Amino acid sequence: MSGAVRPDAVVKLAGTAVYGMDLDVPGMLWAALVPAPIAHGRIVSVDLRAARALPGVTVIGADDLARLLGPGERDAERPLFPHEEIVYRNQPIAAVAAPSEAEARAAVALVRVEVDPLPIVADLETRFPEWPGSEADAAPEIAAHVRARHGDVEAEFRGADRVVRETYRTASVHQVALEPHACVAEIRGDVWYVRTSTQSPFGVREDTASLLGIPETSIVVDGTWVGGGFGGKGSSFLEPYALLLARATGRPVRLALGYRDEFRLGRTTLPAVIRMETAVKDGRIRARRVRLLLDVGTSLPGRDFATGYSIGFLLGPYRTEAFEVEGYAVRTHKPPFGPHRAPFAPQCAFAVESHLDHVARELNLDPEEFRASHLWREGDTTPLGQPVGPFGIFAAFERARATARAWRAESPPGHGVGVACGFWSTSTGAGGEVRLRLSGDRLVVHEGSREIGSGSVLGGLTAVACRVTGLPRERVAIEYSDTSKAPFDSGVFGSRTLGALGHAVEEAAVALRRTLAERLGARGQADLSVDRGEIFAEAGGHRASVGSLVTAEERTAGGILAEGRHFASPRAIDESRVLQGSFYAYTDFTGGAHVAEVSVDPATGAVRVERYAAFHDAGVVVDPGAAQAQVEGGVAMGLGAALTEEAIWSEDGRLENAGLLDYRIPTLGEIPPMTVEFLEGFAGAGPFGAKGLGEPPIVPVPATVAIAVREACGAHATELPLSAERVARALKLL
Amino acid sequence: MNSFELVVPETAEEAVAALQALAPGEAAPIAGGTDLLIDVDEGRVAPRRVISLRRLPWKTLDWNAGALTVGSTLPLRSLEEDPQVRVSYPGLYQAVRAVGSVALRHRATLGGNLVRSAPASDLVPVLLSLDAEVDLVGPSGDRRVPVDRFVQASRRTDLRPGELVRSVYLPEARPSAFLWQRVRPSNDISQVAVAVAFSPAQRRWKVAVGGVTPRPTLLPEASDVLGSGRPTSSEVRRASEIAASRAAFVTDRRASEEYRRHLVATLLERAVGSAVNGGRFPA
Amino acid sequence: MTSPPLRFQVNGHPQHLANVPDSERLLDTLRWRLGLKGTKEGCRTGDCGACTVLVDDRTTLSCLTLTHEVDGAKLTTIETGPEDLVVTRVRAAFDRAGALQCGYCTPGFVMALAGLLKERGTAAAREELLDGLGGNLCRCTGYAAIVRAVDELRTEGP
Repeated sequence: MSGAVRPDAVVKLAGTAVYGMDLDVPGMLWAALVPAPIAHGRIVSVDLRAARALPGVTVIGADDLARLLGPGERDAERPLFPHEEIVYRNQPIAAVAAPSEAEARAAVALVRVEVDPLPIVADLETRFPEWPGSEADAAPEIAAHVRARHGDVEAEFRGADRVVRETYRTASVHQVALEPHACVAEIRGDVWYVRTSTQSPFGVREDTASLLGIPETSIVVDGTWVGGGFGGKGSSFLEPYALLLARATGRPVRLALGYRDEFRLGRTTLPAVIRMETAVKDGRIRARRVRLLLDVGTSLPGRDFATGYSIGFLLGPYRTEAFEVEGYAVRTHKPPFGPHRAPFAPQCAFAVESHLDHVARELNLDPEEFRASHLWREGDTTPLGQPVGPFGIFAAFERARATARAWRAESPPGHGVGVACGFWSTSTGAGGEVRLRLSGDRLVVHEGSREIGSGSVLGGLTAVACRVTGLPRERVAIEYSDTSKAPFDSGVFGSRTLGALGHAVEEAAVALRRTLAERLGARGQADLSVDRGEIFAEAGGHRASVGSLVTAEERTAGGILAEGRHFASPRAIDESRVLQGSFYAYTDFTGGAHVAEVSVDPATGAVRVERYAAFHDAGVVVDPGAAQAQVEGGVAMGLGAALTEEAIWSEDGRLENAGLLDYRIPTLGEIPPMTVEFLEGFAGAGPFGAKGLGEPPIVPVPATVAIAVREACGAHATELPLSAERVARALKLL
Repeated sequence: MNSFELVVPETAEEAVAALQALAPGEAAPIAGGTDLLIDVDEGRVAPRRVISLRRLPWKTLDWNAGALTVGSTLPLRSLEEDPQVRVSYPGLYQAVRAVGSVALRHRATLGGNLVRSAPASDLVPVLLSLDAEVDLVGPSGDRRVPVDRFVQASRRTDLRPGELVRSVYLPEARPSAFLWQRVRPSNDISQVAVAVAFSPAQRRWKVAVGGVTPRPTLLPEASDVLGSGRPTSSEVRRASEIAASRAAFVTDRRASEEYRRHLVATLLERAVGSAVNGGRFPA
Repeated sequence: MTSPPLRFQVNGHPQHLANVPDSERLLDTLRWRLGLKGTKEGCRTGDCGACTVLVDDRTTLSCLTLTHEVDGAKLTTIETGPEDLVVTRVRAAFDRAGALQCGYCTPGFVMALAGLLKERGTAAAREELLDGLGGNLCRCTGYAAIVRAVDELRTEGP
């Protein structure tokens, strides 16, 4: 095995990569969480005595926190165990540690919980059969209410040739990282030490400190290999419980979720209702009203980012003269809403694209021409008044349309070809730093985020270091270490790694080249090259081996050091358009346009995706192989959301399909042949103009499939996923 | 997780004795284990003793003229790999291929599927359409029971205390077909499954459906209207209508009752077409 | 309750194991008793394929297999060395095609594909190989690179 395409292939194909699930520490105990038996209720009693009577078993509950943690200031809004009120089914109400997994489960079964049931809010539309009015602000279920507007919306609607109104419904979808959450915690002297499968070691440290009320400097988080993240492993989850049990027992403690609990406790995208109204005059969109009712589970009021951030994706990427947007985040008795690859953006794109396609059809306009003529161009402003930066969405759409035309010319009856856009903004708003160390024969990039599989750390950061220094890949190594040793980084999420941490690598590498030039007595930046295994620097006509330029002092510290940092560059929206709540500015504008050819069984409504093409603006592509792989993976995940994935919550707050049999992610058989193309020349804020690519590819997929289905058979489905049954209903077969 | 004792009898008599030694529910036989072990993990069953059937000489496939006897512990994968099965019992071949994944089929067995008796079983409808019979061994001797009587409801069969499924007997090679619809085509549970087979000896059709409550069932009235040979398109349509109106479909998280009724009609039409055109259909 | 000691051949080496509980799954024996953590634990319900290993060269879900039920068998896991030529070829194809991202499903895919090749021979049809991987879930790659790995294997010849 060479690891030539992916450096981590060597350990992953040998079976020696250690993931969170694989951690095994001598003397460790096995932990489990005690689940709340109902979704909402007042705790009468939690009786831990029988469980505690088992040999070797330790049980901790709400009453033990003060004893174990001392007087620190803990996050009162997010108690680790509820004192009085249970707010979602399976919420942890105690935790056990035992010598084996079987004994831990036996202990869980012995915990007696007495609860007085309270009425539950299970579903958006049961709670709000009518759209909430301003009186809803006082309702305890409203976690956030955001409103913005611009222009004379009423006048535009009054003067329109045509007003089209529709309602869309989207499903709860889960990240389904194949590795469940897992960690092992130990108390080492004064240090609370946890090894965990996470997208963000520093994020876990910060969040754990806040939950436990202990200083961040007392906590060390070490990331393992990560068996998929997709947003679900971005902040602390099991770590505080494992640390508490380690504290209580004096032993290392392993806490991992079974896969059903992975679904039941996972924080992810929840259902939503989206209303779209569009006023058209002379073939142009004059005004839009967009309203969102988003289930945020037990997210805390004031801590819901989703509504104000996601809602922006319901307005773009299309021009409109006037708009009004309003969103409610509705608390229900489910686990809190959590990020899932481009949180809620695929659902927004599904509504926006399907709706505008529908509007054009209602007006007998060409749906693609209609959207193309309204697509943002560079120099436009977003509805919230932010200038649209370099953005290849229009170029991508043009390529997609051309592909669709070619496919239509050859597609048989019963097939349909659809095109849709999706846009996203990458989160280079989160900072980070790296340290480079150059010795006589290699360059080490020292950083604090673990590769999660996307390739952004091992592939992306390496590619940036190579490109700036000119060194070949085999001379550049990524060195990850835990939070006590590594430079700070926010983590691998929000498609930020390449843009933010890559930017830090670029800055550090430039600094390194300057230092080398200086030592050669020249100005500017030295060029690096490799000659017979040794790295040489050259500047201003002087050339020397790096080994000879390293000082004796530096040699004791591994070589010449350079540091690089990424700070968020502030972007602003026009706050005068905001009436209520928080809206957010975009950083890089990213996204693309996709084409799907589908066949629809006219008798059953079953949809099969026959082929697929994705066109993306990724700024400048730094690592072509990894970039293509991100698009392929994102499209596949989007096809799941489009066709088969739906977490079904019952009226009593139970997740009915908590398992991989009935929550259906695509298998190899559902994935069509796929082509991927990048549109370059729309520079982003990342190194060399790169833009992040982890999230954007999933965004256009459900919309693209929905429009292709409509093209194939006329079914206009307004609800995700597009199951055969829903398509059959849209076809009026039932 | 429940822990249990595993015993590995060498003969059918020993297996029956081991099973009989404990109260029903306290002992469970294991063949592939792909259903049993999930049931154990999820607390649906809690046997004290599990009786392995792996040393019994039941991993067999015996042909006798057109009749086929399938040993109950033969892995499904071996059944699907047999070239003659594909030719003589196309419906069975198609149904076996529809069960889980290759890895699952390397352990899962026909006997296990029958005893699990799932309403959404893909194999039971086919066995019904083929007039399959179940050969049982037990404390009071051997007996043979039609699948139609053996399978009663989810996890409920005609098995008496101490009895084991030894084999499944298929009396006659039949032009046949099995069609299903699922939310996800690969590796999922069928919303509706339809098995059709034509008996050259009896010169009549057998239609069975899965995804119904309380168990997969034959639809004799639908079978009857298909006639005694190649059915006309109006006969097929009539059979489909009967299937849609008579089958006891339910609404669950996989599909609504209404949609299942709609599906069964379409699948039945297509299945008959496939059986007729699959070759070897008698003139 | 534990039955008599078990005897296996694991990746070419004889293994004797005493005191394995009767109800223990092969997955747990491999991971926690033999330390072969390359075999991954995913769903434990037979739906993801991450725990796929070879038992007497046949693909097997180790999460739904009792260890004692495969007593005497030849077991092959992702940790097997170059002496297993088929696994070695599949690994090399995954490496060349970059057919992995997070890597958690990878051992299961490698073993499933190796099992198909051992069962069907290297002349197995493309469709058959792809169809035979339907029980292995991957959330990262969208399967595209895995399909390329399968194609690599088929074009490189026996």
